[in-house]
Amino acid sequence: MSTAIATVPTAGRRQTGARGWTITGWIFLVLLLLFAFLPMLWMLLTSVKTQFGALQYPPAWIPTEVTFEQYHRLLSPTNDVGHEFLGYLWNSVWISAATTVLSVMIAVPAAYAFSRFRFPGRKWLFFSVLFRNMFPAVVFLMPLFVMMRFLGLVNTQASLILTYLTFGLPLSIWLLKGFYDNIPIQLEQAARIDGATRFQAFMLVVMPLSAPGIVATAIYSFITAWNEYVYALTFLNDKSKLTLPVGLQRFFTEYATNWPGLMAASFIMSVPVVLMFLILQKYFVRALTEGAVKS
Amino acid sequence: MTLAAQHVRSLTSSQARKRADGLLARIYRHRADYLYIAPALGVMLLVIAYPIAYTFYLSFFSTPPSLAMSEKIFVGFENYTRILAARSFHEVTLNTAIWTVASTFFAFVLGFGAAIVLNREFIGRGLLRGILLVPYVISAVAASYVWRWIYHSDFGVIGAVAMQIGLTDRPINFLDNVDWVLPSLIVVNVWKEFPFAMIMMLAGLQTVPDQLLRAAQVDGAGVWQRFWHVTFPHLKGVTLITVLLLFVANLNHFTIPWIMTGGGPAGASEIWITAIYQLAFGRIQFGLASAYSVILFLAMIVIGYFYVRALTRGDDRRDA
Repeated sequence: MSTAIATVPTAGRRQTGARGWTITGWIFLVLLLLFAFLPMLWMLLTSVKTQFGALQYPPAWIPTEVTFEQYHRLLSPTNDVGHEFLGYLWNSVWISAATTVLSVMIAVPAAYAFSRFRFPGRKWLFFSVLFRNMFPAVVFLMPLFVMMRFLGLVNTQASLILTYLTFGLPLSIWLLKGFYDNIPIQLEQAARIDGATRFQAFMLVVMPLSAPGIVATAIYSFITAWNEYVYALTFLNDKSKLTLPVGLQRFFTEYATNWPGLMAASFIMSVPVVLMFLILQKYFVRALTEGAVKS
Repeated sequence: MTLAAQHVRSLTSSQARKRADGLLARIYRHRADYLYIAPALGVMLLVIAYPIAYTFYLSFFSTPPSLAMSEKIFVGFENYTRILAARSFHEVTLNTAIWTVASTFFAFVLGFGAAIVLNREFIGRGLLRGILLVPYVISAVAASYVWRWIYHSDFGVIGAVAMQIGLTDRPINFLDNVDWVLPSLIVVNVWKEFPFAMIMMLAGLQTVPDQLLRAAQVDGAGVWQRFWHVTFPHLKGVTLITVLLLFVANLNHFTIPWIMTGGGPAGASEIWITAIYQLAFGRIQFGLASAYSVILFLAMIVIGYFYVRALTRGDDRRDA
């Protein structure tokens, strides 16, 4: 009897508390969505305004006149602006792709070794790999610049690919090791008992299981290379060799008042990575948090 | 001999061998293992170890602006004393501290809040998470331009809205005002980074055992008590790593401040990274810039020590 009396009000209070929390939660979520989403919406809305419409005061949320003129200009190769922009786009695509392929190819065996083998210095070497993430690009910029000059690579795109490995590799090794750690070693042992060599066991058992991890890692490498700015800014000066992030800046200085054009270019630049990311979000998020929540 | 006995025998003998062997012998026995990591280590030595060593080396030299590295002059610690004595160094350090701590704090709080809300099951949760993650993936360059446009002194949408609802009677010059510029940049950075904290903390929240939460509920613990006594202790590890990673990223962040203000106006948004870049590639003072980098580097090593410790805790337990 006494317990029943004691329980009822507690349950009541708990419910009120829970309901209050939900309302606060929803308000918070809506505000957060606005904060996260409005800048991107504004980018898109500005990009379809006329130049005159963009400089209206006060700014109109819904463009009074919608035009795809900027997109048309940027994406038509016959146009001067378009020719330049598509050049940047192409440079970004192939440089990011080359970086991704190289870093995955080098990282796969390394991550596998760090996950499976118990060679002396394993931990020490692994953390020295991870240490790269601690240092800012700018610290590496000067010595690499001197090195690239020595190698005759300044103003070549090869210098960028080589440099992008500095962050592509540690990241890939770290993410892939997390994936390999989660594949039971018994599966390989079973294959070995069935007569497979270590390499066959790796190719036939481990590789298929780690495919999602490799895809996630590759995409992560691609996005980081695609978005990289400071090395591209410093190593390249030929207009024809620039990648999108730096090209965008040239764009801004040359056509200083063309805000719709700049927003359209930013939007085009964002679309591929956002799409890639949204489609493979699950793996991506797993790759990012892998290792972090183990402890 | 049974399989188990064989296993025990091979275990003890391998342990005995491990103890008896010297390091060199063990390295030799594992020589094939090193082939797997050799390409990675080669690249790392070339583009990571060498640059770090060279930065240290260069920090003791005065370098000619012509970038002819053969003409550099040894100056000992002069670069360091010059930097540490400069008044601008203290201002930049203060800016760096404000930028790093505030960005980390707000990105974490916002991200954690989002994670708590998204941890509940509801329809459209996946879509919401996707949308909330977008700022994190889009390029910092594109983000910087959008926010410059949003902050624009004449046509910026924030200024216009603030005027329309009567908060101010003339447009605010966010990026050209010494008092406004740093907070304005921090807002952009938080916008860009909170999703990272969100995914990390969401992953952490999903490891909190349901039974424990239910048990606490049965015992009469309220929402806050459950959070404080059950959820939070569970998240200590992931919180530490998230905060450290955010802290490091913020300390190293270049693109947003560089594109949005270039450190201006009058150095009001200058942080270590932009100052180093300005010294190196604006004023072509590689020696000075290297010394500045080494100072940053030492700060990083201290943080790095805690980072590796936080990361290895789980690993040690698994290996044991």
